[in-house]
Amino acid sequence: MDWKRTREPADAWHMTDDLHVEHGKGDPFAAAIRATRMSMIITDPRQQDNPIVFANDAFLRLTGYERQEVIGRNCRFLQGPKTDKEAIGQLRKAIEEVADVSVDILNYRKDGSTFWNALYISPVSNDRGELLFYFASQLDVSDRKRSERRITADKERFEKAVQDRTRELEAALEAQTTLLHEVDHRVKNNLQMISSLILMQRRTITDEAARQSLTTTLERIEALSTVHRRLYQSKDVSRFDVSDFARDLISDLVTASGRTHINSRLDLEPVIIPAEKATPVALIVNELVTNALKHAFKEHPDGATAGHIGVRMSQPDGHLNIEVSDDGVGMAGTVAETSFGMRLIKSLARQLHAEVEWDDAAPGTRVVISIPNEPQHRGNAS
Amino acid sequence: MIEPLKVLIVEDEALLAMELESLVEEAGHSVVGWATSSDEARRAVDTTEADIAFVDIHLTDGPTGVDVARYIGEKKKSMVVFMTANPKRIPDHFAGAIGVIAKPYTMNGLLSSLRYLQEGVRRPPPKSALPAGFTLSPAFQIVWAPTA
Ligand SMILES: Nc1ncnc2c1ncn2[C@@H]1O[C@H](COP(=O)(O)OP(=O)(O)O)[C@@H](O)[C@H]1O
Ligand SMILES: [Mg+2]
Repeated sequence: MDWKRTREPADAWHMTDDLHVEHGKGDPFAAAIRATRMSMIITDPRQQDNPIVFANDAFLRLTGYERQEVIGRNCRFLQGPKTDKEAIGQLRKAIEEVADVSVDILNYRKDGSTFWNALYISPVSNDRGELLFYFASQLDVSDRKRSERRITADKERFEKAVQDRTRELEAALEAQTTLLHEVDHRVKNNLQMISSLILMQRRTITDEAARQSLTTTLERIEALSTVHRRLYQSKDVSRFDVSDFARDLISDLVTASGRTHINSRLDLEPVIIPAEKATPVALIVNELVTNALKHAFKEHPDGATAGHIGVRMSQPDGHLNIEVSDDGVGMAGTVAETSFGMRLIKSLARQLHAEVEWDDAAPGTRVVISIPNEPQHRGNAS
Repeated sequence: MIEPLKVLIVEDEALLAMELESLVEEAGHSVVGWATSSDEARRAVDTTEADIAFVDIHLTDGPTGVDVARYIGEKKKSMVVFMTANPKRIPDHFAGAIGVIAKPYTMNGLLSSLRYLQEGVRRPPPKSALPAGFTLSPAFQIVWAPTA
């Protein structure tokens, strides 16, 4: 701070004749205004171009001018090239409207250096409402402006960092979703290709047993295909409705295959299981249904091949029960412990901690599978 | 006997196209052409007469199957059924197509779709039930399966 006292010509005060008239030389208020550390000036709007008629020492210290350099001039000499036009406009408007105004404005000292001026201007009128002066005080708020700018810059930097990060995460999510769709697309196409390869191979084979074997393989692959198609058709890829699957399977193996002599009876509650159980459950259901179609009605005692096949699904307290039944020849006397289909069912049941029960339904066979299906936490399968 | 269908296959995967052709012919229909890109498909549309075009969404020149369907619709030459592993890519209006057979389809699913389409094209609306894996477009839902 420059505390050097500004030299003041002896008649300086007399340059402010109008002020003199209103307040008088011995007025303690005038003395206070002269001595305060707050920069203050008074202008006379009744003179041409509203010149400064009084400036205190603090104003001279702040701006670096001598008193005789400022008295008689309009305040605009404090403005410079970087002064905000809008702030100047605000001042002009207030003066025109004879109103108070408070504005932060960039001002220039005599030496060309700048400071932020928290400028307050207010009109002073006499009892008769005649405008006499404008009173203006200046406060150097450069420090405050600097920290404001720093805070704004920090805030902008922070917001930009958050925006950048958000964009990164969105891009990553988008890439992941695209990848998931790509992989899903490829899995489905590959499953279709596997079925196609088996079908092509089967066309070249004349041996009935070998053909039958490829058909069984095709059915198993197609069960997996149906699981996959259903899983990714649904809104939630982590849940799987076994009943919907069973409906597709039956329509595929009974209705669409032209087995018009076999009637299907479906009693299906919606049974929702987590996606990771979908494949083993679907394979078991496929084995049981294809077994009934293949074996039950072939050598019916009365020679007919007609019959009924039933699928029931229910979900009583924490369990999923699947029942596949037929009214065919029954399994009595069958030694099937080591056949592949049976082993497949038993292994899958073990994987699911399920219980499997073959009953002689007289006539026919009833297989009941009971799978524990505790409520799972969502997102487990992701 | 209903008259069999003439089928155009638009599919970039040779293996799938080959097997589809066999199944279509085994079912008593005929395949009049096979295209792997949208250009080939447009040429095939201009030079052949087909009742039904099975159109994959993703072809050798990108996801251009919907454009192919639109072209076929403008020419009014045949009806379109999308056949794709990516049914979610089909626009809501289905570009005028009958519907979509979602991949992976099963052999029996495809055969019943062929039967359903044969009825739908020759003697609409089809009498048999909508096959599993076959989804009708909203427009065809109204005329072919109004109760569903
Ligand atoms: N629903 C059924 N009705 C009559 N017999 C059956 C039934 N399910 C299975 N079987 C008998 O059990 C045997 C073993 O079945 P499986 O292990 O699936 O072998 P595969 O189906 O290959 O013959 C069958 O060959 C058949 O004799
Ligand atoms: Mg079996």
